[in-house]
Amino acid sequence: MTVPLVETLSLVKEYASGGGTVHAIDGVSIAIARGEFVAIMGASGSGKSTFMNMIGCLDVPSSGDVRIDGTATSAMDSDALAELRNRKIGFVFQQFNLLPRTTALDNVAMPLIYAGVGRAERLERARAKLEAMGLGDRLDHSPAKLSGGQQQRVAIARALVTEPLMLLADEPTGALDSQTSEDIMHLFQMLNEAGNTIVLVTHEREVADHASRQIMFRDGKVIEDGPVTSRRRARP
Amino acid sequence: MTSGFRKAASRAVFNLAIALTALRVNLMRSILTTLGVSIGVFAVVLAVAVGSGAQVSVMGAINSLGSNMAIVFPVPDDEGGGAVAERGRLTMRDAVAIERQVEGVTAIAPQLVANVQIVSGGRNASTQAIGVTPGYAEVTNAAAETGRFISDADVRAAARVIVLGRTVVTKLFGDYDPLGETVRVNKVPFTVVGILEAKGSNLGEDNDDLALVPISAARQRFTSDRVLGPDDLRILFVGIEDGVSLGKTKREMSRLLRDRYRVRDGEGSPFIIRTTEEFMEETAMVTGIFQAVLVAIASISLLVGGIGIMNIMLVSVTERTREIGLRMALGAKRSDIRNQFLVEAAVLCMIGGAIGLLLAIAAAAVFQAQADFPVPIGVGTALGAILFSAVVGLLFGGWPAVRASRLSPIEALRTE
Repeated sequence: MTVPLVETLSLVKEYASGGGTVHAIDGVSIAIARGEFVAIMGASGSGKSTFMNMIGCLDVPSSGDVRIDGTATSAMDSDALAELRNRKIGFVFQQFNLLPRTTALDNVAMPLIYAGVGRAERLERARAKLEAMGLGDRLDHSPAKLSGGQQQRVAIARALVTEPLMLLADEPTGALDSQTSEDIMHLFQMLNEAGNTIVLVTHEREVADHASRQIMFRDGKVIEDGPVTSRRRARP
Repeated sequence: MTSGFRKAASRAVFNLAIALTALRVNLMRSILTTLGVSIGVFAVVLAVAVGSGAQVSVMGAINSLGSNMAIVFPVPDDEGGGAVAERGRLTMRDAVAIERQVEGVTAIAPQLVANVQIVSGGRNASTQAIGVTPGYAEVTNAAAETGRFISDADVRAAARVIVLGRTVVTKLFGDYDPLGETVRVNKVPFTVVGILEAKGSNLGEDNDDLALVPISAARQRFTSDRVLGPDDLRILFVGIEDGVSLGKTKREMSRLLRDRYRVRDGEGSPFIIRTTEEFMEETAMVTGIFQAVLVAIASISLLVGGIGIMNIMLVSVTERTREIGLRMALGAKRSDIRNQFLVEAAVLCMIGGAIGLLLAIAAAAVFQAQADFPVPIGVGTALGAILFSAVVGLLFGGWPAVRASRLSPIEALRTE
């Protein structure tokens, strides 16, 4: 059997809260294979965002372990985690999180700095990703001059520029209107079909139905995990 | 190895670019913050320059006396020398003994000094008349620019001849050449036989405001001081050969004078001997302290500027918490974040330092032109100022930068 891309082993995340202990994640063990398109679902406070932060190596578990591509992360220091995020994970955020007053090209090229890629190659790779997102004519635009959908596509280009093992998208359509959301979901499906592993966090059933597998969280536990039976095809 | 260096260089250039962008975005704030450092560096550079200027000036004043020499004079009465003064009054015979018996002595310049009024035609000048011997020229590097100096014959004859300093000539005669003219010094007629080479001024003291007469003539005509005997001197300048130890010569002179006046061991000498070397050392110490105090005071303003930098960097870190979180999520290490803010603080301070330096150079130029006082800003001071401002940036930017680098990526990303 091949090694799962992401594997969590009895993952627990606790917070001290007003004298008691809150279990944001309470013993979650799941595996995500290469090429999957997973939607993580749940109401707010269900632990889905905390779970995503764990598998994105942004947050460290209280106990248990996250394995990325077969490598345990619990013993890693902050520098090793930064390098792992840089090389293996591409983040897409609800609020896009583009640097203001910075061109689309420079925004997309930014993660390559931390990968130690030279300037000429950085810009070339960033340009290629933006062109693949259909933004070849927006390279020199700052985020303020782009629409929400365009900004999110710049952010996706930025997530992809380091050729990561998976894309982690946290409510990527949360700030977009329904047609634009549809466009972005179409883009995700295309990327998935091209072989990219995608993990998407959402509280919307409609969005989650674009995925091939759904994992439902409640009170820090997985209560449902299975393939999507009637998968939606996004129409651009 | 090379790729590691290239990576580091690439990141450094990128950090610089981020820093410049951040500073440009908040231009007004950057300018105001920079101003604090500018003022600090301005004050420190100027303090260093004024301190060095004072040193140069005083050293120049000492050098204009004659570079290698000693000054001998009796202990003043008011310094407890009363009793010894009875035995120890410096005389011409002591001077001659020093010249003949102490090794390394090239010339002696015994002096009597009096404040006089010199009148010529309708104009008058009050100045210092110094009774001298021909040795004065050698010991003090003085020379007649036109005419001649005081000669041995003048001294023997107590001739009423006078050699004028440039300032006195200008006061009495303007541009007119006074050689051969008669001037009245405290109502006694003297013939002008020479004009001294100009020496300029140091620390506002005019080295050319004096007149020289034969020591014998000065004794006859100007010393109302009845304490002085017919052979007494007020002060003796002793010229010493180059390369001879001034300390050793001083000890020999002291021993000679003690022997001549039969001063017992353990008893205080009735004479004070000071060498130019001692003057230089004392001066260097005093001006060094003066400079240190100035710089210390000026440094306070630089400290205030540095605190301004720290303040603005803390604001900058807080404002950009989300950006920090994003960069961390995308692979920035803690050191990347720290360096980004350090570079920003250092650039801010160096720009401030450069502006302060330019202001200081301008102020020094104005000061020098107005006050006739050297205010040197050397290349070392200039480079030091820029480097020092960078250090201020790293020092005061350090804590905010480290704070930024310690943020948890997830907390930082959540910040609105």
